[in-house]
Amino acid sequence: MEMEIGTHKEVDVAQPSVETSEQADAVPATQTKLEVRKLKASFGSNMILKGVDLNIPDRRITAIMGPSGCGKTTFIRCLNRLHELTPGAKVEGEVMLDGTDIYSPRVDPVAIRRKIGMVFQKPNPFPTMTVYDNVAAGLKLAGERNRKVLDETVERSLRLAFLWDEVKNELKKSGSALSGGQQQRLCIARALAVSPEVLLMDEPASALDPTATAKIEEAMARLKKDYTIVIVTHNMQQAARVADYTAFFYLGELVEFGPTADLFEKPKKELTERYITGKFG
Amino acid sequence: MPRLMDMGLEKLNALLLEMAVLSENAVTAAIDAYNTGKKSTQVNEMAEQLGSLHRQVSELTMELMARYQPVASDLRFIKSCFEISYGFFRYGRYAHDIVEVLNLIGDVSKCDHSAVQDTARKTLEMISMSVDAFTRRDVELARKIPSMDDAVDEKYRSHLRSVLQGKVDLKCALSAALILRYLERIADHASYIAESIVYISTGVEPNP
Repeated sequence: MEMEIGTHKEVDVAQPSVETSEQADAVPATQTKLEVRKLKASFGSNMILKGVDLNIPDRRITAIMGPSGCGKTTFIRCLNRLHELTPGAKVEGEVMLDGTDIYSPRVDPVAIRRKIGMVFQKPNPFPTMTVYDNVAAGLKLAGERNRKVLDETVERSLRLAFLWDEVKNELKKSGSALSGGQQQRLCIARALAVSPEVLLMDEPASALDPTATAKIEEAMARLKKDYTIVIVTHNMQQAARVADYTAFFYLGELVEFGPTADLFEKPKKELTERYITGKFG
Repeated sequence: MPRLMDMGLEKLNALLLEMAVLSENAVTAAIDAYNTGKKSTQVNEMAEQLGSLHRQVSELTMELMARYQPVASDLRFIKSCFEISYGFFRYGRYAHDIVEVLNLIGDVSKCDHSAVQDTARKTLEMISMSVDAFTRRDVELARKIPSMDDAVDEKYRSHLRSVLQGKVDLKCALSAALILRYLERIADHASYIAESIVYISTGVEPNP
């Protein structure tokens, strides 16, 4: 089955075909997790996203790439209603999580952000908190007080983030005392502790060295068994390494979306070809 | 603005063009040796040179992959260059084998050369087309090559059938059979080269 490629100008919406992805063989074929329809986002009069249609597959890694200013970060901030928190920001269109529009007035944005977690470019552990409290913070905020539940969740989350072995004897240490790579994995553990279904990652390894980057990527590869991951990256090799699907954005529009292997070997759009081969501009 | 990788790609292209000319010359010289009965030392030298150039292509493609992690048309070009280089190398190797057959069997000037000559003409045409198609990145020309392979295959099979019927002199039959076999393999490689040329431009993989 061939992947359909969609842009906002076309009638067909990009439909992932999980069977064609060479990297997507770790878990059974799955459905769409996030369905994005005619998504527009702006800051004041500045239109950043100009009507994006995209289906993000469940329990797969989808990479969003494109040049600076193409709307990558704005796109993922729209996926968990962070964009609207910025003064002057506006969103139009639909983002459906398992068929429910997250922008419906009946939906609580805080609950959405718990289901769709975010890891930012710069590691941002709570500076005054210990490693343990950083991971437990979300649960405590949600009212969880049971020590056993908290302990189990902290350990499980740190294990999922590939950090447990490195910090299990230093849980009382300040989160900000960890290395940059460890801090980023701590942030991943913190996001996982509240049991999200989707993890958004905005350039999570851009400030890290190759070893720390590899650990983040290994964690992602492991996590996709249970979570849907959307990663924004400037690093094409990173997208090629970790993502099952890749979307290329340009000037606020989705140019091309498809299985990563196809997009990097035989892109269908000339613009994608020029961007990934460095012949842009 | 040229990219860092472009210098490597140009060098790769130049190596392939050198191999293209050399391999065509090697097969032509081998066929001439069969037709004229004159011994050729050039063919072996050309085959050795093609081996050396193929090793250079192999090293350069690995280097380009490791240094630049090419994608899209760059990746397809590099991958195909390796395969095309192997095809040119094989042209040279089979040319060498043809000359070896003549050295081993001796004078075949009294044999009927028509089967080999017809097939050689066809095969040289395929080689020439594969070289032109690569040089000009001519997908339409490349697409014509694989369909010519059937005629070469049939000549080879038909000759084997006539040998089995005992209609020919053993020395003539054996030399022709071996040379036809090498020509048949050369024609196969011309088809593979053609498929790689199509893949570079279109991304369409050859049929398995």
